[in-house]
Amino acid sequence: MTAVAALVQVLGGLALAPLLPGAVQSLKARLQGRRGPSPLQPYRNLRRLWGKSAVDPQPTTIVYRLAPCLVAAATAPALLLVPIAGRAPDWSLGNDALVLVGLLALGRFALAAASWDTGSGFALMGSARDLTFAVFAEPLLLLTLLLAALPAASTDLVAMSAAAGGAAPWGEPAHWCGAAAFALVVLVETGRQPIDNPDTHLELTMIHEGPLLEYAGRDLALLEWSGAARHWIVLVLAAELFGPHWGGFWAQLGWLGLGLAVLCAALAVTETAQAKMRILRVPGLLAGGCALALVGLASALVGGLV
Amino acid sequence: MGAAEAAAVLGAALLLAGTVGPLLRLPSGAALALQAAGISLAGVAGAAVLCGVAPLGSGFQDGLEPALGVDGLSGFFLATIALVALPALAYGREYLRGAPRERWLVALGGLFLLALGGVVAARDAAVFLAAWELMTLAPAAAILVRRSDAEVRHVVFVYLAVTHLGGTGVWIAMLALAHYGALADPGALAGQGAAVQTLVIVGALIGFGTKAGLMPLHAWLPRAHPVAPSNFSALMSGVMVKVAIYGLVRVLFEWAAPVPLWVGLALLAAGLLSAFGGVLFALVQRDLKRLLAFSSIENVGIVALALGAALVFLWEGDRTWAGIAFAAALLHVLNHAVFKSLLFLAAGSFERAVGSLDLDRLGGLLRRMPWTGAGFLLGAAAIAGVPPLNGFVSEWLTLQALVHVAFGPALGTGLAGGVAAAGLAATAALALFCFAKATGLVLLGSPRRPEVGGAVEPGRAMRLAPVALAGGCVALAAVPGLLVPALAKLAPGAPTVAGGAALALPGTGSLPSPWLLLGIVGLTALAWRLRGGRRAAPVPAWACGQRVEPALGWTSAGFTKPLVLVLGALLRPRREVEVTRTAGIVESVTYRGEIPHRFDTHLYRPLRDRALAGAALVRRIQSGSVRAYAAYLLALVLTMLVLLRVGAIG
Repeated sequence: MTAVAALVQVLGGLALAPLLPGAVQSLKARLQGRRGPSPLQPYRNLRRLWGKSAVDPQPTTIVYRLAPCLVAAATAPALLLVPIAGRAPDWSLGNDALVLVGLLALGRFALAAASWDTGSGFALMGSARDLTFAVFAEPLLLLTLLLAALPAASTDLVAMSAAAGGAAPWGEPAHWCGAAAFALVVLVETGRQPIDNPDTHLELTMIHEGPLLEYAGRDLALLEWSGAARHWIVLVLAAELFGPHWGGFWAQLGWLGLGLAVLCAALAVTETAQAKMRILRVPGLLAGGCALALVGLASALVGGLV
Repeated sequence: MGAAEAAAVLGAALLLAGTVGPLLRLPSGAALALQAAGISLAGVAGAAVLCGVAPLGSGFQDGLEPALGVDGLSGFFLATIALVALPALAYGREYLRGAPRERWLVALGGLFLLALGGVVAARDAAVFLAAWELMTLAPAAAILVRRSDAEVRHVVFVYLAVTHLGGTGVWIAMLALAHYGALADPGALAGQGAAVQTLVIVGALIGFGTKAGLMPLHAWLPRAHPVAPSNFSALMSGVMVKVAIYGLVRVLFEWAAPVPLWVGLALLAAGLLSAFGGVLFALVQRDLKRLLAFSSIENVGIVALALGAALVFLWEGDRTWAGIAFAAALLHVLNHAVFKSLLFLAAGSFERAVGSLDLDRLGGLLRRMPWTGAGFLLGAAAIAGVPPLNGFVSEWLTLQALVHVAFGPALGTGLAGGVAAAGLAATAALALFCFAKATGLVLLGSPRRPEVGGAVEPGRAMRLAPVALAGGCVALAAVPGLLVPALAKLAPGAPTVAGGAALALPGTGSLPSPWLLLGIVGLTALAWRLRGGRRAAPVPAWACGQRVEPALGWTSAGFTKPLVLVLGALLRPRREVEVTRTAGIVESVTYRGEIPHRFDTHLYRPLRDRALAGAALVRRIQSGSVRAYAAYLLALVLTMLVLLRVGAIG
């Protein structure tokens, strides 16, 4: 069964990941009364980009050209850290939640450096905003992971996923606080409304898209795949740590699939119902999430969860 | 005498010869070589003791006879000093060549190293305090020998004033410890009651905290580090502030141990303030060396967070995690010493090549100075705390320690741990922001001023020193599994921590940093192959059809603007826009923006003004009239007699 988990980790991360943003886009279009693209559209985009030639903005250095490779290389090990249905094969990379936080930060650093290399105002505007959000999103992510780690008293993702299983965690206020705060993490890490608009074509409003603006061809394909893989990582994490799951491996695998479907639908509904926020109000929202997580921590400590 | 002891003694002798040599007309190159040989021998001896050779020299003594010795903790700090000093000396050989009063600078550099080594090898209060004062004075002298205009004299005055005022705490703590015999017998202080212990702890926190640059005692640090010659800045930021950490560790974990809980919480608070505040002010600096100095405050804050966590664990009785947190602090000391000295040395090369370190006037230096630039890039990534480099390893350990403090079970310490962990996560994100900005403005894009276009690499020694230190950043990232168990052994109770290449600590998912390093490098290479060397069309960057000109380039202020707007209540930026119009036509627009250092304006300036006002008040007593003085004496005698009469004294 661990072999199945390994297969889902690798194949799911590499091949299934683009389906998630595709499904969200497709569902969103339906909700808005449009026919919209098929859920398979991201795959078509990737195939198209893979065949195209690249563009080399002047004057750039190797930093710009290496950044997409580095982003992809930081995302791929992150895929292998996240357990599937409570199982994780031993890739000798460990399963530590805080290593995952670090790997996501590496991608951000590489893209910010690439933005400076192009010197393009739009890229820099996007990365400056992304880095500003990260100042609030990083503590939020850490605190939610801390809440998920409390019952297991360990930051090992496998132990955390096991401790979140069954009905017992739902009796704890800390779990509810953590789940609510993690919803914000999902929004900010996947770059979705109300925090960022993935559909925008207006450079001035771009956040995550901004630094990708100059890239083309396979470079852009690597970055687009990394974005999809980031969806996969965050949504699987949400389902494993804060979603309901019971039973043996196969039952849990079913719960994971269901969780992913529900989360994609929830993202589509949120994007339909919610307009984009003013950028300067986002940090306040994230700080509110941090406060909620701290309340959860306090309740867990008072209640003697650990 | 064993081999290690012989190496230490020979090293000290060579270092002394290298210090006195330049004053006796020894050529600077030979003197620097002697110093390098000396400090590396001492470092090797220190590393040997850390790895298990029996402690050298004497143990700690309470008397006044001078005593020297090296145990595990001293050995670790000696090795760290050597690791930073060697590249700095090699760099200095070229950097100082032809400088005015070169001999004096070389001699002062040797004296500085002797003082640094003296503090960590001192085994009695007198040698400790003497070396401590020399360590403060040597860089001050070096700054003044190099430049002595009014501005620099003022900076040195502030440096000496603040460190000496704070340093009285070190004197009080050390003399009290020696008086109560607690240096030789760490249990002795416990028998003296809580008041004496509190005095020693508060003295140590203020004294060593000032020297380490812990906020809010940091006023001197961002002033003094930028004006020092770059090889001195590297040592000051890389090692001198760490020697203060050494003193703090000795007092809190050995001489005054076991300390009450409030000390751990106070260190957590000071560490959080320093880490977050330091990096926040680093982010908004425009001068590269000033940015690096503020970032040193941040990193000292991270070390203090780990030490605070270790104290909380000790109080809770969890020796294993206390050892891990202690190891995290020491590992961060070592890591920061390596990458901060790398960044300061590279900054010195940039300054030499371009003539300025104003971030808005650099750019495109990676292409023009590939060696120094690549070293700087790696150092910036390491200090930004991204995996798989060494900065991430020690920040991960510190974060784990704080998360495990947050696991409780007590509500107070648990919440403190949670807040500190969240604060450290925000600090890490800010550090990434800060060094992405520094890297971009210094190395990437096109030159922002014409004079930057002509920058060339310095000579071989100045080029190799940062590259060697960058190699150190990678090497240290690969071996935490060896270092952490050895460093945890230095913690109280010498806990055994399982290491191994994967660093599988209890209650974590393990940090297999060698595999992460290999994995990320390998996958990047794979992606690079997949991407292929396809022909790419050279085009200008997209700016809505405009040509991207240097004048349109982003500035430091522009990049940090969103964050400054969000944190406006905290940073209180000042902004002045002046528009000059003639007959309704805009002639010129001038813009001035700055972010004042609020500790200076709201804490230090009022304190200084009060102190000066108080001094003016006291000065009135000094009328110069003999009769007034006779009256003071008479009043004193009368008061004493009255007190004697009522039985208050005598």
